[in-house]
Amino acid sequence: MDTIEYKGYGFSLVHNCHFSNVYYNKHLKLALCIAERDYIPIDNFKAIFIAISELIDDFPINHLVFDKRKLRTFHQPSMEWYFAIWKPTAKSKGLTDHYKILPDLDWFVKSVEAGKHEIFKKYSKDFLDGIRITYVNSIEDVIDSII
Amino acid sequence: MDVNFYKEQLEAKEDMLAMTTKFLVDMQKSLEERNKELTETYREIFDSVKFAGLIQQSLLPDINVLKVFFKDAVFTVIQQISIGGDTVFIKNTNKGIMFGLLDATGHGIPGAMLSIAGSLMLNELTSSMEIDSPKVLTKLFNYQLYNTFNRDDYSIGHMEGTICYFSPMSKKLIYCSAKGKGFHIPSIGTIKPLLNTKNAIGDNSAEDFENFEIDINPGDKILLYSDGLVDQFGGESNKKFTRERLRKLLLQHKDKNVKEMAVIIENELNVWKGSNLQTDDISFKLIEF
Repeated sequence: MDTIEYKGYGFSLVHNCHFSNVYYNKHLKLALCIAERDYIPIDNFKAIFIAISELIDDFPINHLVFDKRKLRTFHQPSMEWYFAIWKPTAKSKGLTDHYKILPDLDWFVKSVEAGKHEIFKKYSKDFLDGIRITYVNSIEDVIDSII
Repeated sequence: MDVNFYKEQLEAKEDMLAMTTKFLVDMQKSLEERNKELTETYREIFDSVKFAGLIQQSLLPDINVLKVFFKDAVFTVIQQISIGGDTVFIKNTNKGIMFGLLDATGHGIPGAMLSIAGSLMLNELTSSMEIDSPKVLTKLFNYQLYNTFNRDDYSIGHMEGTICYFSPMSKKLIYCSAKGKGFHIPSIGTIKPLLNTKNAIGDNSAEDFENFEIDINPGDKILLYSDGLVDQFGGESNKKFTRERLRKLLLQHKDKNVKEMAVIIENELNVWKGSNLQTDDISFKLIEF
């Protein structure tokens, strides 16, 4: 599917692989990264986010949604790479808001909390601050908060 | 998908499980430690408040002073949490006796501090000059309480209550009630609520108060009480005890002596309260002439 629509806004497919699809809406300056499998290996995870980083070079993107609802396995080294390496770079390119949609599973949410706790123990708060991370229930919620 | 994918996914699942389990175990330990600290803190505060309650109780006046002037007298003070804002006042003068019941703003520790300060002020006022007018004493007390706790730039609290004066020679009870509550229970005739002014003590330094008089006959009784008594929630519909229920209770038992009446009021209130928490500090004083 090359285009997708939420709340009347069309999103074009700008990157895809076996594990995820990335869409973009120019008007909202919003990119959507939608996980399509229950697990993303770290190399593929990095490739997806490097692609998003390159997208930020080419298009004005202030907001990014990572829809993890299909994920069932949480990979801590991927999360650490995202926080410590990818996020500071994306911030320097103009990304201000990162929205995350988690699966509606208590154990998964608790695992994310545990993972973040480990990362915050390892890195300083100042280093990790920058891009606002907001947990939301749906892509529609994000669009409502932007418009 | 090759075998490496499933291998990595399996390892990720195991790591995720181990990390989350460790996180939850650490969190549980942290909560247990916090719970221990809170339990210890609560115990220290509870013991402290309980002991403060004993101190406040020991500051209450000697009921036997009243018994010199009256056939009998009894008072009960049940603070909401060991200590509180209700207090009673008794001071004999050359010709008679001044007594009252006062209820400070709030309850708990602030209420207790205010009521103790109020009692000390009343004792100081009545010790430094001969006062036989409840109105004069209330005005002086109002002025002092206002200047201590409620000046222009702040307002901490006030007191409500009734101060009475009785001289055996006059056979009249003179009282001044600042939002106080009470009943006159005559040996013959109708039970009547005591009159009061609608201004509390300490709200305004220039506040005026009024003396009221009751002709007293042998066997008459006076009940002074704080609003905690009639405001207690309970009963089948979880409503206030109410002044009317108290009046009917007094009417039903008007011929009993004050000690019996006090037991009846307390028992009736406990039945009414049931398993509910005590709404406010509760106190009452019964005098039999």
